[in-house]
Amino acid sequence: MRTVVLAQLRTHAARLIASTLAVVIAVGFVVATLVLNETSRSTVLDTVGARYVDAAAVASTTLDHPFTDDDVAALADLGSVGAVAPSYETGVQASVPGRPGSQYLLVESVADAPQLRWQELSAGRLPKATGEVAVSDRARAEVGDVLSVSVYDAEGEETTAEATVTGIVDLQGDPEAGLYGRGFVTEEQAQAWGAVDPVQLRIAAGPGFSADQVRTDVAAAVPGDVVVRSGEEQAEKAAADLMGNSTALAAVLLVFGTVAVVVAGLVIANTFAVLLAQRTRELALLRCVGATARQVRRSVLGEALATGLVSSAVGVALGIGLAAGVSTLVGSNSAIPLSGVTVPLYAVLAGLGVGTVVTVLAALAPARAATKVAPLAALRPVDSAPLRSRPGLLRLVLGLLLVVPGVLLLAAGVVTASVLVALPGGVLSFLGVVLLAQRAVPPVVAAAGRLAGRFGGVPARLAAGNATRNPRRTAATATALLIGVTLTSAFVVGAASTKATAQAGLDAEFPTDVLVRSYDADLPDSLSRTLLDVDGVQRAAGVIGGDVTGPDGEPVFVQAVDPTEAATVLRSTDKVDLPSTGVAVLPEWAAESWSVQDGAPVTFAVDGRTVTLQAQVTGLEQGLLMEPDALRSLLPDAGTSELWLLLDDADPDGQVGTVDDVTDVVAEAAPEAQVTGVVTMRDQLNKVLDILLLVVTGLLGVAVVIALIGVGNTLALSVVERRQENGLLRALGLTRGQLRGLLAWEAALVAGVAAVLGVLIGGAYGLIGAASVLGELGPIVLDVPWLQVAAIVVVATLAGLLASVLPARRAARTSPVAAIAA
Amino acid sequence: MSVPVMTVPGEPPAPARTTAAVRATGLRKTYGSGETAVHALAGVDVTFAAGEFTAIMGPSGSGKSTLMHCLAGLDTATAGEVWLGDTALTSLRDDQLTTLRRQRIGFVFQSFNLLPVLDARENIVLPMQLGGLRPDPAWFDAVVARLGLRERLRHRPHELSGGQQQRVAIARALLPRPDVVFADEPTGNLDSRSGAEVLGLLRSSVKETGQTVVMVTHDPSAAAYADRVVLLADGRLAGDLADPTAESVLDALRGLGG
Ligand SMILES: Nc1ncnc2c1ncn2[C@@H]1O[C@H](COP(=O)(O)OP(=O)(O)O)[C@@H](O)[C@H]1O
Ligand SMILES: [Mg+2]
Repeated sequence: MRTVVLAQLRTHAARLIASTLAVVIAVGFVVATLVLNETSRSTVLDTVGARYVDAAAVASTTLDHPFTDDDVAALADLGSVGAVAPSYETGVQASVPGRPGSQYLLVESVADAPQLRWQELSAGRLPKATGEVAVSDRARAEVGDVLSVSVYDAEGEETTAEATVTGIVDLQGDPEAGLYGRGFVTEEQAQAWGAVDPVQLRIAAGPGFSADQVRTDVAAAVPGDVVVRSGEEQAEKAAADLMGNSTALAAVLLVFGTVAVVVAGLVIANTFAVLLAQRTRELALLRCVGATARQVRRSVLGEALATGLVSSAVGVALGIGLAAGVSTLVGSNSAIPLSGVTVPLYAVLAGLGVGTVVTVLAALAPARAATKVAPLAALRPVDSAPLRSRPGLLRLVLGLLLVVPGVLLLAAGVVTASVLVALPGGVLSFLGVVLLAQRAVPPVVAAAGRLAGRFGGVPARLAAGNATRNPRRTAATATALLIGVTLTSAFVVGAASTKATAQAGLDAEFPTDVLVRSYDADLPDSLSRTLLDVDGVQRAAGVIGGDVTGPDGEPVFVQAVDPTEAATVLRSTDKVDLPSTGVAVLPEWAAESWSVQDGAPVTFAVDGRTVTLQAQVTGLEQGLLMEPDALRSLLPDAGTSELWLLLDDADPDGQVGTVDDVTDVVAEAAPEAQVTGVVTMRDQLNKVLDILLLVVTGLLGVAVVIALIGVGNTLALSVVERRQENGLLRALGLTRGQLRGLLAWEAALVAGVAAVLGVLIGGAYGLIGAASVLGELGPIVLDVPWLQVAAIVVVATLAGLLASVLPARRAARTSPVAAIAA
Repeated sequence: MSVPVMTVPGEPPAPARTTAAVRATGLRKTYGSGETAVHALAGVDVTFAAGEFTAIMGPSGSGKSTLMHCLAGLDTATAGEVWLGDTALTSLRDDQLTTLRRQRIGFVFQSFNLLPVLDARENIVLPMQLGGLRPDPAWFDAVVARLGLRERLRHRPHELSGGQQQRVAIARALLPRPDVVFADEPTGNLDSRSGAEVLGLLRSSVKETGQTVVMVTHDPSAAAYADRVVLLADGRLAGDLADPTAESVLDALRGLGG
């Protein structure tokens, strides 16, 4: 039989292209997904966790019990430890020559030991001595610039020093890079600039010692309340702290990976089923000339194995190439940093394994069916009577057995906001839906066909009939497309909700786009108007502030803002309680130290003037807030301490530039003031989500493309089988155009029904997925992007039509004589 | 021994008794080329009178089907001309031919006559619907009644017997009142009783409504239902019998050595 297998492969190379293509694309899809996951993971670790990944161990303590010099020395003395880098951190105001005003610089120490230095330099070198500093891009300084650095001690005394810029550190990919400038100095310099004792030590292994050894030794040497993690763990924690919830991120990736494998499996199975159906007669002929059932089965499986292996290998290469392409396109400079490709071995093995195993598995059922066919079937003309679908009770029962518990798990997942419950529910119910689709699709197509027949004329009516003639095949074809469409729309809807939720979360966390704040002097009154003139600044709200005497007789800093004005500037008031008339918003610490209950009166005084307000105790982290009128009755000259700015959303890309402009204006008018542009961070995170959405939708689009190959396959098969019938129609007066129309209608019916069903099911999955994943994080905002959803239906249907073009051309060439010359 | 009336091949066709419904002159059809060329039709001149039931007979491979395909506009001839009434088929484009087929020609084939997805009624009206026409209800009823299909209109082809299927095909062929109905071995797949029934129906449609029918058959007793028999051999006309009987047809066939 090997000769038969080889001959089959040779002679049907063209026909095998379709199935090969499906396997290649599907495997490519899986591999690209896995590789991109791994790449983005390692890139995020490389950027956010850069400082940790190379450390053998990281010891962290709390601010209450910082590490002392003795602790550091003791650890450095351990046999397995090569070097210890304490991290000293402080903040300074720095002014760059040629730039007005000063900016906030977050300063940290550079490790003495070279193996613990993580900074990537885009220019210059790291500092070697006191008086030297390396800065990040955001500081907008150049190598050689001499910065004037102001440091404030605990008493608020200012000391000024000079520091020469020795290098520019590239923080590419760090989402916080745009928030404020960063400075890198020697440990001595950091301490001189006010850094307190370190709370974190990065530890490198000595020569010949393993990271595990170091970790164990360090853990044994430090007090129990010090947390010791491996460098990798610490890096992951840093990435997680930054990106929010690490389990949510991991869960999304897990969902994505599972989805990829499930789609690939189902799509390959479907394509192969259609393909073998085309060959039933051929296989029966083999039986006719004396091949045993086993030989036929083995020949089919051998063919599947060869096809699966070869196309999986090609798919793996394609997937890696695709990931590399995406990685280059996206780049490490973007918000979702991807640099190079990290190809994990498991991705290659999974690609080869999934492709080959699934191809062979997919061939099993048709191979069994083929051997069950009586040899004589080969010689019988194609049955002209419609095939009656067998009840498929097994399918129904199995489908329900999967769907019912699956849906229950999904519901539980949504209610408990647990993706780990919802995920298996999703997989189960989806497999069930696929099984049930086989039963549900044909009647729906028939119904849609009746509808189409009303206005589509005879070709539409014939197409409706044709589309339901072989319900199994129609169902298989439609299911392939349904899977692709379901997953695509699930992702689109899920991503929209994720984005809306993340947006709401970000808005709540950072309600002001730009915050201008001055600690010492009041901001000039004209600043607000000047800033409103800056391009891209839409609204401004001023916050006045001053010291008053609290109920305990101690001075306390109080701020006041007009709530209506503030509400128009803030993106969200979820995490800010604004004062209303006659009310003072007290954070918990104030309420506690003054023993004031919520709703009780609280009195503030200045120079004998008093004002009594109703306390509104808030659990949110914010300052004391009251209405401007109340504060002015105590401090008639209270000056502006903060300005809140709302930026124009019309040009999101311009917002970062606007923050720079605002920084310059503020530096000119109020050199002491500090500008924090949270909008840059929001911008970065938005880009992450957009790119993620784009990449994933693109990959899922591939599933739809594969499914459409299936639609084309099925139609081609129909054209072959209905040669006689099409000939008869042509003889009876069906024009070529009408015959093409008939095929187009058939494709549109199958594709349209699959698309509509897919969008409905997928939309539900998307919402459920978003609810269960995001429910863990906080309040959910569900969002259905109707336009995109409609686009999916239209595109899938049009693509179905496109898939009918080639088979239709072939059908149109059918000679009318074909009907008679049987 | 009765001598069949025979025309010498190559001579002009016998003059039509009435007006010609279909006419072919110098019809040639060649498959392949060079040494392997098959001359399925090697120059045929023939006329079919309106209102007449003609049978085309001849040995297997003599070109009967090919002749019918060319006459019916299903296939294009290599050379020669075909006229349907005043229309020269050879000058028509595919779409024009298609329209002409559905408006002016009816077909009954040996097998695979009906579309499996349509019921009997839908099959019958299909050609007219393809042209966007509505059948005249009175005529539809008359045709259906004559063919005894009134009770079967809602049945799908696979729910009908072979004879019933052929009757549906005949109804479909007659409904547009075509210039001519072509039938290719319409009884080939039927038992003798159903076959006789079908032939009788064709016969009566000629008699009662003046329908022109051209039928290909290899069965002498089927040919006996016709007004005239045209004999083919090796792609040429080999004889022409008026008012044939099964015996006279058999004799004529034997004369061909077939
Ligand atoms: N498509 C074709 N290609 C090549 N030869 C053909 C084709 N159709 C018919 N022939 C040949 O033309 C001749 C006439 O065929 P046909 O008209 O079918 O004969 P009949 O119907 O009288 O049996 C035969 O020799 C047949 O082999
Ligand atoms: Mg024939």
